[in-house]
Amino acid sequence: MKLEIVCAGIGGRGVLLASTILIEAAIASGHNAIASDEYGMSQRGGSVVSLVKVGDFKSPLIGRERAHIILAFEESEFYRNIAMLKREGIALVNTQRKTLPDAIYSLAQERALACYLVDADRIAKEKGMIQAANMALLGFFAFLSIEPYTRENVERTIKKRVSEKLLEKNLEIFQAGYMGAKEVLS
Amino acid sequence: MKVLAEVMMGNYAIARGLVEAGIQVAAAYPGTPSSEILPGIIEFKRREKCAIHTEWSVNERCAMEVAYGAAIAGKKAACMMKQVGLNVAFPALLRGMHKTIKGALVVVSCDDPGPQSSQTEQDTRLLATLFYIPVFDPASPEEAADIAYCALKYSFEHKTPVILRSTHRVSHARQAVPLYPPGTRKVTLHEGINHQSPLANRQSRIMALGIVASGMTYSIAMDVLQDIGISDIVPIYKVVQFSPITGHQSPVTLRGSSTPGLQAFLDSVDNVLVLEETDAVIEALIDRGKKALGRRNGYVPKEGELTYDVVKGVIERAMEKAGIEKKSFVPDSRIEEAMKTVAVKPRPPKLCAGCSHRSSFYAMRYAFPDAIFPGDIGCYTLGTLQGAVDTCIDMGSGVTLASGFYNTFHQDGKVPPILASVGDSTFFHACLPPLYDAVTTNKKFILVIMDNGTTAMTGMQPTPQTGITADGTHTRSITIENVLKGFGIGFVKVIDPYDIPLMIQTIKEAYDYLTTHQSPVTSHRSPITNHHSPAVIIARRECLLNARGRVKKMVEDLPIERDCIGCKGCIKFFGCPAITFDEERRKVVVDDGICVMCGMCLIVCNMMRQKKGSSKF
Repeated sequence: MKLEIVCAGIGGRGVLLASTILIEAAIASGHNAIASDEYGMSQRGGSVVSLVKVGDFKSPLIGRERAHIILAFEESEFYRNIAMLKREGIALVNTQRKTLPDAIYSLAQERALACYLVDADRIAKEKGMIQAANMALLGFFAFLSIEPYTRENVERTIKKRVSEKLLEKNLEIFQAGYMGAKEVLS
Repeated sequence: MKVLAEVMMGNYAIARGLVEAGIQVAAAYPGTPSSEILPGIIEFKRREKCAIHTEWSVNERCAMEVAYGAAIAGKKAACMMKQVGLNVAFPALLRGMHKTIKGALVVVSCDDPGPQSSQTEQDTRLLATLFYIPVFDPASPEEAADIAYCALKYSFEHKTPVILRSTHRVSHARQAVPLYPPGTRKVTLHEGINHQSPLANRQSRIMALGIVASGMTYSIAMDVLQDIGISDIVPIYKVVQFSPITGHQSPVTLRGSSTPGLQAFLDSVDNVLVLEETDAVIEALIDRGKKALGRRNGYVPKEGELTYDVVKGVIERAMEKAGIEKKSFVPDSRIEEAMKTVAVKPRPPKLCAGCSHRSSFYAMRYAFPDAIFPGDIGCYTLGTLQGAVDTCIDMGSGVTLASGFYNTFHQDGKVPPILASVGDSTFFHACLPPLYDAVTTNKKFILVIMDNGTTAMTGMQPTPQTGITADGTHTRSITIENVLKGFGIGFVKVIDPYDIPLMIQTIKEAYDYLTTHQSPVTSHRSPITNHHSPAVIIARRECLLNARGRVKKMVEDLPIERDCIGCKGCIKFFGCPAITFDEERRKVVVDDGICVMCGMCLIVCNMMRQKKGSSKF
């Protein structure tokens, strides 16, 4: 199995935590995985991309049109990284939009992309912690159960990685994201 | 024995390898991408209950010499820094080659291809091979742990300092790394021809194209060969270690290049593509003329990171040269077409929302828009975006360049306002020697020390003022104002940069102080003056990232969206990342997820300044 995932967003909004959870959940379920993060300058409110590759890879870098999945924690960062997504790739985008802009919609059709627009900010805000919008998107992602990810192994990893003080809220938002996906998709 | 593994970043893996190999002294100065190694050593020394002396030194030279001193005295020591930090530490390293150590000395120097967080793409291997210092170049976090372990042992056995060169993609990649009890790590360095490679079993066959690679570029090349389906026809030779070989024609060589391994490999291919970061080191050492495809003949870009796509492009070109037919990857141009229609917000790195540096820069620029602004290295280099940083050369150059500018203009008779900025960690790292000169030769410039109580850019390491050591224990604090007092500087003000009006006023006062206290023209013969230049302002407020969880809202209401008339003044001169401009509505929009309610934008808002807004000050 080979899975290449791009986590894209802006500094300080939980991109790194999301990719940490994805690599650790994959390894915990017995797969090889390697991730690449950005530190330093890019953490200062700029665009942040964190890459996760699950399977028999040597490097953590992902090339153009090779990613199976993009988790975009911010809408602009989705467009910025859309060239990384392969044909038939899957995108989860945190946005208030109900539909994609026309040209992107046609592109998604032509390239057979599955794009899910998730208002993760709203979900997190309703639970009183907008900073944890990453958890809502991860919840939605967990519902898709793309191998090796399941609701259980993602949730288990969140419990390991999120500090005790913030855990309850984070899990609540994760579950709300999961339920949101369930409502829309089943 | 079941070996435990833990997911960790490359820098922690290096730390793990060093701790398992029995390191006794570790000193470092933080610098991306090397900063997490020392914290890693502290973490593993705690877990393994080892006696290791760890310290954040005030700069790289101190770190190098602390470790070097320990190595002379028989300890196993290491120092850690980024590639440009190695320049600061170089004098001791050069002396170190002469077999003066009794213990071990590993110098970890992390390169920054791109560069992403540095001024240059300097290649540590180039400097090391120039001076016959052995270098190890890991290709992944897992290998970095093994190599760190081997490097310390190698240094101890050969009584020579060695360099472990990492790059940011190794240092900041994460992978499951096996953990062994100290002293028991099982290491096999995978050097040479990969066992999956077509040449591994058929040495004699001549192939059209072979690749020699090291470090992360090797890992990327392996993935690219797999992904485009040519790993069965293009063999790859991996270089891990560059070592000096006595009596060899070239004093530094690749391990294996004098043995049949690499020579046979090079002889068995018609073309050899050399993939390495960041300079042409292997390429120069193997010296295969036209047969070698690399940086020297333009096959590999001379600058910039070798990303997956770059490596893929290079390999495709090399295949073409070697006459290997394979359908090249054609990017789908429809993606770019569609992208043209959506507005992607430009997102250059910015100071955090609520960062007090932003207020300082705003005040500096507001007080003297036409000043010369020598800057320095740290988060606050981002003051360029506010037009309040003109130069950024190296650490400490904020002060030295200010002196240079002052001399120049003074000589020509007309001195404009000069407003230099440096951070608190930089002040201790490299600003004291230039400040001695600035004081003794009476340089009239204003130095703003942006004191946020930490080394923020690299991840919150303490400074000599913090009163905390690397492992969190308390120690004496050396305050900046006490140091300045020792210099006899007459104008020293400590203010909170959140008070922007006071900051502006203080900068103007400092300028008046420098210009109205007319002193005799200084020369080497008459250095006596009636006041003491330069003027120093300490802009002190704790870094928001450091104060996380303790940050209080400064305002309850933020009416900036409501009052906005679309002048974009705050975007242009303040540039808070929480504020973006909605072109459709012609108004600013505040991102609640980032905003910390510091209210600074209200002070700079034109509406508020004209007292037309809903907030009054």
